[in-house]
Amino acid sequence: MSNPYQPIPATILETHDETPNIRTFKLKPEREIPFLAGQFVELTVPGYGEAPFTPSSSHFKRDTFDMTIMKVGRATSALFDLKPGDRVGARGPFGQRYPLEKFEGKDIYIVGGGVGLAPLRALFLALVHEIGKYQRIFLRYGARTPADIVYKHLLPEWQKIPKVDIDLSVDVSDEKWMKKVGVVTCLMDEIPCDEKSSIAVVCGPPIMMKFVNQKLLDAGFQGGDIYLSMETNMSCGVGQCRHCRLGPYLTCKDGPVLTWDQIKDLENPFV
Amino acid sequence: MTQRIVTAADLDKLVAGWAKSGAVYAPVEVKDWTEFRRIVSLAETDLTRVNTKLSARGLLFPHCETMFRFEASRPDKAQEADEPETQVVLGVRSCDAAGIAVLDKFFSGQGETDTYYQRRRDRTTLVGLSCHAPADTCFCSAVGGSPTGTRGLDLLLTDLGGRYLAEPLTDKGAALVKDMPEASASDLAKKAELADRAEAAITERIDTRKLKGLLDTADGNPIWEELSLPCVNCGACTFVCPTCHCFDITDETRKGKGARIRVWDTCQSCTYSQHASGHNPRLAPSARFRNRTMDKFRYTVDQVGEVSCVGCGRCIRECPAGIDICETVERLMLALVK
Repeated sequence: MSNPYQPIPATILETHDETPNIRTFKLKPEREIPFLAGQFVELTVPGYGEAPFTPSSSHFKRDTFDMTIMKVGRATSALFDLKPGDRVGARGPFGQRYPLEKFEGKDIYIVGGGVGLAPLRALFLALVHEIGKYQRIFLRYGARTPADIVYKHLLPEWQKIPKVDIDLSVDVSDEKWMKKVGVVTCLMDEIPCDEKSSIAVVCGPPIMMKFVNQKLLDAGFQGGDIYLSMETNMSCGVGQCRHCRLGPYLTCKDGPVLTWDQIKDLENPFV
Repeated sequence: MTQRIVTAADLDKLVAGWAKSGAVYAPVEVKDWTEFRRIVSLAETDLTRVNTKLSARGLLFPHCETMFRFEASRPDKAQEADEPETQVVLGVRSCDAAGIAVLDKFFSGQGETDTYYQRRRDRTTLVGLSCHAPADTCFCSAVGGSPTGTRGLDLLLTDLGGRYLAEPLTDKGAALVKDMPEASASDLAKKAELADRAEAAITERIDTRKLKGLLDTADGNPIWEELSLPCVNCGACTFVCPTCHCFDITDETRKGKGARIRVWDTCQSCTYSQHASGHNPRLAPSARFRNRTMDKFRYTVDQVGEVSCVGCGRCIRECPAGIDICETVERLMLALVK
């Protein structure tokens, strides 16, 4: 009987500081973890426990995978003390993937906030890998300040990809910032795709998701076409511990990505 | 399967025999309550009281359990915790056995099997004991059970007065009493009479049949505020419940050795749903109260096809605020029908 709670040993190959408190870890697991964009992995920091993260690298290359993590709790603080060569554990994949077959032939409008761009990167890279299958890919990303933007070194490269359109905003600018200033919804006043037949994908803090979702609905997006990363306190990953309960859903099994149609009847799903 | 008769003296010998080849757990008197404890002789037990303080769930899903151990210097080399012993649990009431049948569905009935639960379950034989005199908090028959229900059990004993009717329900149960004499027609008639009397003693207090449909639209109803007002979110109801099975996974390290453990958790705790960021989707006490009620009577119906309340009445008995789950359901239904 395979044990879903037993992590696979993984080695930290390299790290990259994205912002003062967000770092990308490249991990090499002893056995491949067959994740698809949208699914998550429970990462073990030995002695400090586990935390759920969605890989931020493409599922078309899985011998190693990236995780972009914000230093915020006990396990992540301990993780930030680890160096390349150190060992961690990983188990998964858990949850549901993005139904990419439903995205084919459509415009895809991705909205990220803060470290919420991390799981969206896995989706973005998967889409770009088979760019011929999709119409255009729009990425709208907001961070607090220019220093808080993740993947600063990658964004200019992504912008060069044909059919990809990227725009950024920061809540608070500095003297060098040339783009928009404001919360991410300020990038959404004009949505350059056909809302009725496009896919929207959102990940960010709950308050950001709430307002972005409303903006998308107001613009005419269909509730079943808005994919929201409903990250909750997922502990076991296999629908047993029940911490991640969101109305009738256990987000670790039914999510973490749910459509607006799935959650619209819940009382205040973004609280 | 052949029903048999086990005298008190025979049961004493059987228990001594089971205790030689594995663990035997049974209700034992502790102050003014009973709880499942390890025994070696029938004399240690108190089989007269209806419900133990905690349900039998802890024998399959312990309060605190080591999942695996590791050396802090070699965190990648995990060593699985020791295999559990075989165990016979004697004196399980029908509601508790039904609770275990519900846990079976959660832990091993839907795709991925919970290794730690299943390996205990595989090594466990459940010997039930019919209820003759249900407590005033009992409502098993309102949620599909019965004081002499056999669901989840391997063997059901019914006290016929100094001797027990033994009904095997599985091969495992039959093997326990295979050398005992067969029961007579009058023994079976006596049991039927006792069963009817016990059934009649329970006044059915809730009707869960219409509940699921009503609860589908209950989420934003203001009644939750009112219903949850007396609740102090202490979580006692979740700890005594036979089907509650929330847990938390954590690592503990000491002097270079570490273990990953899992511990019972409660959805009534304010940190239960809290994210690492501090964001808390169920900060309001009423939201936590609603979560438990909805989980019992609606969400698990979607998940495992039945309500996850077996009517043992422990939450009613233990609630420091006097909340009665039957009354909660009744008032909820009244509010939702309006």
